[in-house]
Amino acid sequence: MQPGVRVGVIAGVVTIFLAAVGLIGNFTELNIIGEEVTFAQLMLVMIPLVAGFVATAPKVEAGELVTFTPQRAAMVGAVSGAVAGAVFGAFVVFVDAFGVERVRSVFLNVSPVLMDYLTSGRPALTAAAILTVISAIAGAAGATYRALPDAVRRPLGSAIWVTLLFGFLQRIVPIALDQLEVERDWLYSKITGGLTWVGAIVIALVAAGISVLKQQKGGAIRGAIVARRDRGAEGPRITPLSIVLMLVGLALVLIAPQVLGSVISDVLGTVMVFALLGLGLNIVVGYAGLLDLGYVFFFTLGAYSLALLTGATLNTFIGSSEPVISLNLNFYVAVPIVVVIAAVAGVLIGAPVLRLRGDYLALVTLGLGEMIVVLVTSPWLVPLVGGPQGMRDITSAAIGDFGFRDPRHFYYLALAFVALALFVSSRLASSRVGRAWTALREDEQVADAMGVSTTSYKLLAFAIGGAIGSVGGALFAVKIGSLTPASFQVLVSIQVLGIVILGGIGSLPGVITGSLVLVGLPGLLREFEEYRLLAYGAAVVAVMLLRPEGLVPNVRRSRELHEDELDQDRWVRDVVLDEGVAPTASPQGEGTG
Amino acid sequence: MKHRPWLTVVATVAALALVASACSNDDPAPSGGTDSETAAVDEFGTVEIGPDDPINVGVAQVISGADAALGQDQVNGIELALDYLDGKFDQTPGTLLGHQIELAIEDEGCTAEGGQAAATALAADPSIVGVLGTSCSSAALGVGDTILGEKGILLFSGSNTNPALTSEEAHQPFYARTAHNDRIQGAIVAEYALNEQGATKLATIHDESPYTQGLTAAAAVNFEAGDGTVTAQEQINSEDTDFKPVLRSIAEGDPDVLYAPVFVAACSLILKQAVEIMPDVTIMASDGCMSSDTIKNAGDAVNGVFLSSPDISVFQKGDFYSNEFLPAYQDQFGSAPTSVFHAHSFDATNVLFDAIEQVAVENDDGSLSIPRTALRDAVFATSGYEGLTGIITCTELGDCATDVTIGVFEGPNWPVDGGAKPDTPVYSDTKSLEDVL
Amino acid sequence: MSSSGSAQPVDARLSGFATLPWRRIILVVLGATIAFVVIAGAYKTLTLPGDERFSGDFWVDQIVNGLGQGAILALIALGYTLVYGILRMINFAHGEVFMAGAFISFFFADAYVKSGFLNSNTYLALTILLIVSIAGSTLVAVLLERIAYRRLRNAPRLVPLITAIGASLFIQSAFRGFFGPQPRGYPLPTLLEGSVVLAGISVAKVQLLVFITAIVAMVALQLFVNRSRTGRSMRAVAADSEIASLMGINVDRVVVITFIVGGILAGIAGLLFALAFTQVVFTMGFRPGIAAFTAAVLGGIGSIGGAALGGFVIGLLQAVGPSLFLKGFGVPSENSLRDVFVFLVLILVLVFRPGGLLGTGDAEKV
Repeated sequence: MQPGVRVGVIAGVVTIFLAAVGLIGNFTELNIIGEEVTFAQLMLVMIPLVAGFVATAPKVEAGELVTFTPQRAAMVGAVSGAVAGAVFGAFVVFVDAFGVERVRSVFLNVSPVLMDYLTSGRPALTAAAILTVISAIAGAAGATYRALPDAVRRPLGSAIWVTLLFGFLQRIVPIALDQLEVERDWLYSKITGGLTWVGAIVIALVAAGISVLKQQKGGAIRGAIVARRDRGAEGPRITPLSIVLMLVGLALVLIAPQVLGSVISDVLGTVMVFALLGLGLNIVVGYAGLLDLGYVFFFTLGAYSLALLTGATLNTFIGSSEPVISLNLNFYVAVPIVVVIAAVAGVLIGAPVLRLRGDYLALVTLGLGEMIVVLVTSPWLVPLVGGPQGMRDITSAAIGDFGFRDPRHFYYLALAFVALALFVSSRLASSRVGRAWTALREDEQVADAMGVSTTSYKLLAFAIGGAIGSVGGALFAVKIGSLTPASFQVLVSIQVLGIVILGGIGSLPGVITGSLVLVGLPGLLREFEEYRLLAYGAAVVAVMLLRPEGLVPNVRRSRELHEDELDQDRWVRDVVLDEGVAPTASPQGEGTG
Repeated sequence: MKHRPWLTVVATVAALALVASACSNDDPAPSGGTDSETAAVDEFGTVEIGPDDPINVGVAQVISGADAALGQDQVNGIELALDYLDGKFDQTPGTLLGHQIELAIEDEGCTAEGGQAAATALAADPSIVGVLGTSCSSAALGVGDTILGEKGILLFSGSNTNPALTSEEAHQPFYARTAHNDRIQGAIVAEYALNEQGATKLATIHDESPYTQGLTAAAAVNFEAGDGTVTAQEQINSEDTDFKPVLRSIAEGDPDVLYAPVFVAACSLILKQAVEIMPDVTIMASDGCMSSDTIKNAGDAVNGVFLSSPDISVFQKGDFYSNEFLPAYQDQFGSAPTSVFHAHSFDATNVLFDAIEQVAVENDDGSLSIPRTALRDAVFATSGYEGLTGIITCTELGDCATDVTIGVFEGPNWPVDGGAKPDTPVYSDTKSLEDVL
Repeated sequence: MSSSGSAQPVDARLSGFATLPWRRIILVVLGATIAFVVIAGAYKTLTLPGDERFSGDFWVDQIVNGLGQGAILALIALGYTLVYGILRMINFAHGEVFMAGAFISFFFADAYVKSGFLNSNTYLALTILLIVSIAGSTLVAVLLERIAYRRLRNAPRLVPLITAIGASLFIQSAFRGFFGPQPRGYPLPTLLEGSVVLAGISVAKVQLLVFITAIVAMVALQLFVNRSRTGRSMRAVAADSEIASLMGINVDRVVVITFIVGGILAGIAGLLFALAFTQVVFTMGFRPGIAAFTAAVLGGIGSIGGAALGGFVIGLLQAVGPSLFLKGFGVPSENSLRDVFVFLVLILVLVFRPGGLLGTGDAEKV
């Protein structure tokens, strides 16, 4: 019972947190399915459900794997849920007793609206009791979910999260469907804004169906992949299937803007720019292992350099003026120059700074990021970059008459550069330079002793990564057409770092995924704009604690990050489980196993 | 080196992408103009509204984040305008030409990217007749005004004050605003300092936002034209807390007046710190500081601080504002307006509605055809319209608040919650763009 | 796949290009430029024509202000340095620890000023506020350690750093969500209003309080770390945590205590900051956090004296630096370049003395 109670308490506290932050009270009208399932309701039900799921996780106790029987699991889940509900219910009672207005004078989101919603007019104790009961049921459901056989659980899980995903994307999917001129009123209700029940059921069934198919067919594919990995091969092999899949994927990527319309293309364009930034930072942080917290430096440098090279004008409070340095080059001539400028800057800055120890480097790079932001806003550089008013009339990278400012055209421009960066990164990773970086990353002193010139390779990573970042900045300038310093904040460095980390450090598909998730999703889920940073911070912490290798991990880095656990596994496997061999050495000692 | 086929594929994408983009389709053309009865050939086409369909009006305001109050205030003003279509404030929207009005609200986030996203979303909807917005000039300048202008969709703002938006070089043909141009406010501040305060030396502080930089630049230019000297023009960061070094530095120049039109957080701190460092210098600020929060945070430091802001007492035309509008606002939204811009947006919405009425062609089947260019022309032709905020006459460059009345209020008698009464301005002047630099 | 047999040419080419002479050239140029800016700038500023020159009073005022700011930064920097000494990690969220104490104490202070308690029993009220602020900061610090950092003690250095950044964002956003984005005015007791004159210099009473409290806290910390048993354990763990644990020291407990001590210092700093600026807002931890981090590194991270010194140096640089070094060059609004200037100085110090001012002379490689 104990773990169930603990999880339940944590879940209850989390619910209180969400209520205090406003994620429940402000979303009581956000319909997900029909009018019955709103975001607020979802929160209130999902948290105890997850609590039940977590509480019944198999544990290792005294060297044995403990699992729960379905009945016991349900009980533990129910208890866990009930505790969560009770804790939250106690909160409701407390607020009611203390007086909502008094609590609200401190915690702004604990409002009468919230309380009305939670109690539905009933006395607080009754409401608390109801919450407890609902949570108990949810907890039991969560626990039972885990206990279901795989064949049932996977489709059910898919059905649920796919349906919810479509419910969340209620502002975007209908637009895409409209573009494709597909009848969509049966799926998304114009009145409630969310999914209709009919639509929800259809999606759930389809998702479940696909999941079932995947299980049957996928088992064979997965077995093949696993077998290959065990044999030690590291890359995908060419098979007819993989070629077909790649072509299909390629086709989808290429026609996306036509199909999805300009709004989604606009978001995808930003995703591409940030993916490019991520790829650049990936080289610095992911490949060479340098702690760079000031990547906004290159982003800003690239954007403003491009503007100055292609004849943008400065905004002044009465109109515009020419920057003191202004050339009128074509975009495609300017980009290589931007690359050179960035690389040179990278080398000049890197030279004194890169030999510093990791944490010092982090601080110095952070400082660099701050410095450039201050500089482009400063009155001192107004004649060059326009200060707070910014710059305007940035080139649209036109080829002949064909401009790239339209979101659907820009997508292709950005895609081309992303593809190029992917190519460059991938070639670097598997080249001698990449191996030097790996050596550098894993143990700098040893690498040095082996004759790898650490400073040179660090400089190279910094310069190349910086160059790619600058191109990202240049593209950003083209996309928006204007530059205001507000777009260039230290936060950008942190966001790009988040993309690399979340996606998978050192992993190229990971960076793309990271950008889709961290830039694409918020771009599409505009209702949650206020909570973006909150979710972001939580996501970063969660990823670091639970899955530091990211969503789409790079196998090698994954191994590095879980070195201790892998060593332990190896020790258990080789030393302990081998019959008759007594453990003589401690697990940590065996580095190479 | 391992054979990596997917690289070749990826590299091909670069080439294919450019080819693909050259073959791509454009957005569907705006709904055709040749079908309707309109004689004019409208290059941006006509918005066709079916007999039972609502008239879709876009709204691009900042409704999330730190500046949300600014945008929400204006959305409220717009909604009140919808309400008032039937001539009374009864919390039920009226109809225009027999059609309901629906608002498509987008969040512009007070940044250029946000403005781009909001404008793109609205521009993609061919049924949008016009857009009321943006809140922040940075979301409009070069971004919102251009994207919407390319589709012939009018962007009509109630709070963009950046002069550049209606300047010769930067003005977009489909952009207009009812908000005052900052050049006017800056000029009146300078005038007040020179004439009423007898100042010969002025120092200014602005922050990293274009709004405050524009205001101080305008004030400085007009102050110098009046034979004054500008001793310092300092820039601070709005998130800083220690302004004592800057203030001390400014104090060395011995100015008579310090004009610091920054926002509440920095403004409160500057007011408090200036009391210690430059007690004899007169401090001025503007709307950004005019808030009950400033009074709460700065306390006594607001005494004797002069704030410039559009003169609300001008709104008392026939007591409409105080007797009908304000109570209606209070009733529907539960609090008093947080800024003056709600009134500007109310006016902009009404001007737009009037223009729609003027140019819309009512077809026999009950549908409407609204030619875009004609709509724009009608708005720009507005002259002598009596709005809440004054007489509205639009210039060719989109400034519809041509005669702007700015009032100067002495703290603590500011017209906000917590301010002392009487909250009438100690100085008020009306200027138009020709009068200022 | 080619073997290492052909490794030579590439490495030789690369290292040939970027070998010592280049780097040293860049270093020398950089150092010379910054030195030039500093020396020439100061000279030019101090020799400006009479009516443009800053008065003596000006410099005194700026120095006093800088020292006051520096005291607060020093307190926060100590928190960074303590945690770094033990865990070899930068607790990026320490700025939020500082903010939390100040913000939570605001609600009490607000209630006290409304009821009159703040001015009728100022000493008692301030003591309670101090306790509340310390409690708030310490709570956040302990939660951080327990939830975010404990599991990552042996992770590669990048991981806890990023976790700290994420935690910092999260805490900031949480406070914003709870309490709203508006800045809140923090009341100042009438007892602390106004200034006193010391040795002919006018010093605000609050500034004096800040300075004295900070010094007392730092001395207390120094005594604690050097004389007490827990302090000895902390130093032992900082020196080598594995051996310390073998000697019977409960490393987990020492870590928690370190965070608590850091939290206490941050809580004190938070209250002082709130009183000095009479304003709290959810973003108030970010910039002082970075400034304090800079101070800790500048002074030599891991060193208590270094953090204290660094704090005062940064405080002075922020207040006096732009005026002294940039005014002479006619840079418009030189104070807006304050952060640039501070960072340049930091880079200068780190380049020539990587261990910081009070650290060891070389870069320790860990």
